[in-house]
Amino acid sequence: MDIPKIIRIIPRLDIKGANVIKGVHLECLRVVGDPGEMAARYYNQGADELIYMDVVASLYGRNNLLNIVEKASQNIFIPLTVGGGIRCLEDIRNILRAGADKVAINTHAIKNPDFITEAAKAFGSQCIVGSIEAKRISSGKWEAYTDNGRVVTGLDVVEWGKRLVSLGAGELLITSIDQEGTSKGYDVDLIRSIAPHVCVPVIACGGAGNPQDLTDVVKNGHADAVAAAHIFHYNQYSIQAVKEQLKDRSIPVRMAAGNL
Amino acid sequence: MLSNQLSSPPHYGLPRQVTFCKKCVIPNTRPTASNEYTHHHARGHDYISFDADGVCSACRFCEAKFDGTIDWLKRENELISLLDRHRSRDGLYDCLVPGSGGKDSIYASHILKEKYGMHPLTVTWAPHLYTDIGWKNFQNWIHIGGFDNYLFTPNGEVHRLLTRNAFLNLLHPFQPFILGQKTFAIKMAARFGIPLVFYGPSPGENGGNTPITQNKYIFTDAQQASYKSAGFRLDYIDDTANYDQIYLGGKKVADYLKEGVLEGSLSPYLPLDPRITREKNIEFHFLGYYLKWVPQECYYYSAEHAGFEANPMRSEGTYSKYSSLDDKIDGFFYYTTYIKFGYGRATQDAAQEIRHRHITREEGVALVNRFDGEFPQKYFKEFLEYIDVSEEKFWQTVDEFRDDSLWKKERDSWVLRHKVAL
Amino acid sequence: MKKIFIIDYGYGNLFGLKKALAYAGADVVVSAYPADFSGAAALVLPGVGAFGEGISEFEKRGFKKAVLDAFFSGKPLLGICLGMQFLFDKSYEFGEHAGLGIISGEVKQLSVQPGTFCKIPHIGWNALWPPDGKNSFSGHLLDNVTPGSQVYFVHSFVGYAASAADVLANTRYCDSVFPSVVCKANTFGVQFHPEKSGAVGIQILKNFISLL
Repeated sequence: MDIPKIIRIIPRLDIKGANVIKGVHLECLRVVGDPGEMAARYYNQGADELIYMDVVASLYGRNNLLNIVEKASQNIFIPLTVGGGIRCLEDIRNILRAGADKVAINTHAIKNPDFITEAAKAFGSQCIVGSIEAKRISSGKWEAYTDNGRVVTGLDVVEWGKRLVSLGAGELLITSIDQEGTSKGYDVDLIRSIAPHVCVPVIACGGAGNPQDLTDVVKNGHADAVAAAHIFHYNQYSIQAVKEQLKDRSIPVRMAAGNL
Repeated sequence: MLSNQLSSPPHYGLPRQVTFCKKCVIPNTRPTASNEYTHHHARGHDYISFDADGVCSACRFCEAKFDGTIDWLKRENELISLLDRHRSRDGLYDCLVPGSGGKDSIYASHILKEKYGMHPLTVTWAPHLYTDIGWKNFQNWIHIGGFDNYLFTPNGEVHRLLTRNAFLNLLHPFQPFILGQKTFAIKMAARFGIPLVFYGPSPGENGGNTPITQNKYIFTDAQQASYKSAGFRLDYIDDTANYDQIYLGGKKVADYLKEGVLEGSLSPYLPLDPRITREKNIEFHFLGYYLKWVPQECYYYSAEHAGFEANPMRSEGTYSKYSSLDDKIDGFFYYTTYIKFGYGRATQDAAQEIRHRHITREEGVALVNRFDGEFPQKYFKEFLEYIDVSEEKFWQTVDEFRDDSLWKKERDSWVLRHKVAL
Repeated sequence: MKKIFIIDYGYGNLFGLKKALAYAGADVVVSAYPADFSGAAALVLPGVGAFGEGISEFEKRGFKKAVLDAFFSGKPLLGICLGMQFLFDKSYEFGEHAGLGIISGEVKQLSVQPGTFCKIPHIGWNALWPPDGKNSFSGHLLDNVTPGSQVYFVHSFVGYAASAADVLANTRYCDSVFPSVVCKANTFGVQFHPEKSGAVGIQILKNFISLL
């Protein structure tokens, strides 16, 4: 099919404390680099947006990213989405004031779905990304998790995704726990089960190993944007190289000749 | 101070004063490994040692892994020499790796095979009750990791009887499993004529009194006299020992026989004649002596090379998902430890992660205070059925083992007297 | 140095905009007080959110006069996103609301045939094209910007200019074409966020700053 718009390529940085870490199935804390350096590198390589996730915020009941966000937004002029442990309007206000453009909310939305509506009212839907961690339970069925893949909720992911949108989320970020960190490809079925059924953009996350994986999740999964961590963090592909390959496969991408 | 309030000295030799390691979160009530064959109700334990600075031996052990004390290149060369002496030239097994298909045994077996060209035989003593994820990981170890494996499942009736007794007599339901697992490895090594057996980390990593210079288990009296660890004494079954001196599940073997349990049924739990061990020169080496052992790195390695999957959700009693996943009654091993010694699964996970610099002590304290002692509700019913104990009897037994020095009653609940703090 | 004032009427995330303008070489002040604006060499009108609420707050705080004064006195003025929509005669978002009337035209919902990939809001990068099939941009704001350059959009409504002369650039989204850059004298409106549009966005801000 012809894809009528530019597909966004979004590096995702999982952050614990002062470091970018990378887990597998959202578990373990291998350090891969410094958030500021990595963000700058991705910006220069042509990233369309960035996602910062504080992966231990729910675990420790704390919010730690404000300094990191402030630093990142000094010289990086692309949209920044920040997630992890967002529990109240004040958290959102602080993160936006620190320089973020959007916030991703998972755990607290499940605990209190009205929070999404409150947040959308206060800051605008375009600011609120509904974040879902999905684990397959059987063919065509996924279950939502919270606390960075630690706590099962019993919620059906497709139903919950639709509900998040009706509550006011302006985008959905869907992470496959099964594929995350494995480099074995996205869970295309997961994305396909949601993206065509919601009117807001869907960002696919979890499992990218090579440019063909990104192609698949867009063409077959109908993802509006793709997030990836492993392939960029471990320098397997530069963002430019990925975009070249997507362009070759007829996926419109932003070919910026360097951001600065 | 506290001891004045106690009606009796603490059970099983618990330290009179509970303190926590200054670097990790482990308390001084953490027992070191002991000779389970002499384990009966009244027997005491030895405990992890703290140095003059209040730092535990496990922390010091792990420090040495990172601070340059150990020359890892030299250690790897020692490994290579050892392996060169054993490497098979005729396609037969040249080393034995006991394990469950968890991250440790996957890492050990796979690295020996892939990096060092060995031909390991893997052996497994089955968990009491396989979890789905445990069975899947075990299969992936064999099918994706690529290993020959012998899985031994002990006679269910006997295993349940021993486990039940161990729970009721010692509040240590895992004791028969631990015993069986250890001795199974030796017996398979003897049967297959494989003198070289590899465990993963040294017991010293977690507080066993094994120094960083020790590369393998020590068997003889003379060698062992210099070490406090009695965890692997096999030499007591000699002409003088008899079934009145050996306990399984806290009960004398002689008593089992009197009650009609067949000697043959208990033999999987009894150790191999140590003379055979010595004859065949069987040696149990710690791979963690030769290669820098980092449990989270074992997880990454296992996920990459053998399709290992973490628990879908956090394990009960802790925050982690990557450790000790294969037995439905695992949670009760940790819970009974919590009752007897006052620290639970989260403490153990956090202590390990602090030592390997994944989390800070502050974070560890927060995790312990949030998750430690969480009751393993998920498989409670199955555990009770497995050991054929009523829920009432379960709690009765648990409460009997709560030592006054560790527990106090606050209104209607039991509360630990000591909590780890910053 | 001549100062650029960012109007703070409570709508819009100003931090990024301030940083971007500073990076592009401006001396930037964020102000919530219309009385200060006589000291401004240029004004930037940001905005994110719903038109009705936004303009109501904007007017309540007294900014309408400041902005109209700027327009009539030829002071450079840049409306961004919702700020651009304010420049029009009226908007039909959640009812009917009067705008500032600087640019004749109306703000309506982006008319896109919903479908796979055609989502509302329009979120993401999209290209700027000169109107009428021209092969370069006219108007100072888009100097040195190559036709087809991509910038970042987040919106569901667009301002349709009544006069083609007021449109400096169009953007295509799915089956819809809408004005993405409008201009009347020294007043400019951009539907996208230049502070989030990488190097192209910085170039556009630089062009605006050079008007001072």
